Amino acid sequence: MGLTGTEADIINCVARLRLAKKDQIRRQVGFSLEYIGFICRDLIRRCYLGFSEGHYFLAKDGIKTLLAEETPKIDRKLLKEVAEEVARQISGELKRTVKGIKIPVSVREIIKETGFGTSEERIKIKTDFDLPVEDESLLLESNIDKIGTRVEKEKSDDMDKTVRLFKELHGKRRKK
Amino acid sequence: MIKTKDEKGIEGLKGKIQKGKGVDIGTMFVKCAHKEGDEIVFRSQRNAFFDVEHTDFTKKILDNSKVKYIIKEDDLYVVGDEALQFANMFNKDTRRPLSKGVISPTEKEALPIIELLIKSVVGEPSHKGEIVYFSVPGEPLDADFNVLYHIKMVEGFLKTLGYAPKPINEGHAIILAELAEEDFTGMGLSFGGGMVNVCLSFMSVPIFKFSVAKSGDWIDQQVAMAVDETASRVSAIKESSLDLSKEGDLSKIESALSIYYNHLIEYVIENIKQEFAKARRLPKIPNPISIILSGGTSLPKGFSGRFKQILDRLKLPIPVGSVRMASQPLRSVAKGALIAASADESKK
Repeated sequence: MGLTGTEADIINCVARLRLAKKDQIRRQVGFSLEYIGFICRDLIRRCYLGFSEGHYFLAKDGIKTLLAEETPKIDRKLLKEVAEEVARQISGELKRTVKGIKIPVSVREIIKETGFGTSEERIKIKTDFDLPVEDESLLLESNIDKIGTRVEKEKSDDMDKTVRLFKELHGKRRKK
Repeated sequence: MIKTKDEKGIEGLKGKIQKGKGVDIGTMFVKCAHKEGDEIVFRSQRNAFFDVEHTDFTKKILDNSKVKYIIKEDDLYVVGDEALQFANMFNKDTRRPLSKGVISPTEKEALPIIELLIKSVVGEPSHKGEIVYFSVPGEPLDADFNVLYHIKMVEGFLKTLGYAPKPINEGHAIILAELAEEDFTGMGLSFGGGMVNVCLSFMSVPIFKFSVAKSGDWIDQQVAMAVDETASRVSAIKESSLDLSKEGDLSKIESALSIYYNHLIEYVIENIKQEFAKARRLPKIPNPISIILSGGTSLPKGFSGRFKQILDRLKLPIPVGSVRMASQPLRSVAKGALIAASADESKK
């Protein structure tokens, strides 16, 4: 399977930096950290990238790709224009062909197709520390507790179902 | 008898107050959500204060009229909704502990006041280490500050109170609260006081999230300058009677508000388009996405209609299904944070 534009960008970025953190890749390629993590995991699975101690590096197939100069060298703007033109033509054809056909979509199929849902690698920021914050409000005198806060209530209805669904999706991501 | 994990879980659900809290720390309000039986309870405070003369007499009057106040050394501050009323009475602006979604760098009393307001809505944890998710803005695209200091200060303070705090992006929280039926896929927009937060999520994973440092306060300030009024008065009119679907017979302030609302919506949509352009590979989203509008600045009548109108003109690069208001625009961030906290608590 060939590389998409973003995958090639990530490989080029890792090649330039030799050892690249997820955040460095994010800054150069765009997207959220989660999404970059997702693509990188896929590239690791396909042996384009390796990962060790919070850094990505080029793996066997990644180096081969670079040597074979398979990464897109075409001007991105031009590529985008061509892609948009092709997409317009294809979508017109597609709309005519599949008109009236309802394509069933399930969560499982989407996860299977896109691979979204693989477990998240979290890079620990080494300078992250517990900041002791003093309760400066203890120096204040107030009648807020005496008067109280504004309280509103609503029926929770489907909240338990929502929590279960959210857990289920995250569980699937971890298992993958 | 030793209870199994499942038994403990069932027992936890039977209890009246369930574990886990969600807090929305916004420029205008601090709001905490927790679940009690089959209800979600929201406790909120308005994030504004106004200094008045500190005498025993003033204090007594405020106590008798049940107006909230804070005293720090020689200063007396009216807090909450009444601060806005006082400001209007004196034709001045309120002071705010948060500015543009983060702890105000220019307000010297910001930290103790925001701590007091947070403490008053979250209360004590039900047990040491109770999980609380608190909302944080995305990195602003158009302002030269980052949100790390704000996040660490709030996180540190919640830890001091005995909680296990975790941050959640404001836009993402809206998606958790409103898009369960669409597998948490879609876009959440929070039009708050200081910022607009945007998150595009696919199957609950944020694809991109960002904020812009223009929102309700910016509208108030621009209108105030345009029509020579105070921002507090403009804000009061905006919150009480603005109707964006009204086409004629507008007052001077209403016309200015309408113009700046248009500008803000267009600005947000253009920024979203730019983020799509930067994001060169998007997941295959099989259905048109839903867009959820939320936050205090989205409250005026006709806001979603105005948003749809401008979106139709500017268009996003992916198909959009419905554009709708959150079921409770002032509660959805806290509710989404509560959903994340409940999910974490039930895994314990």
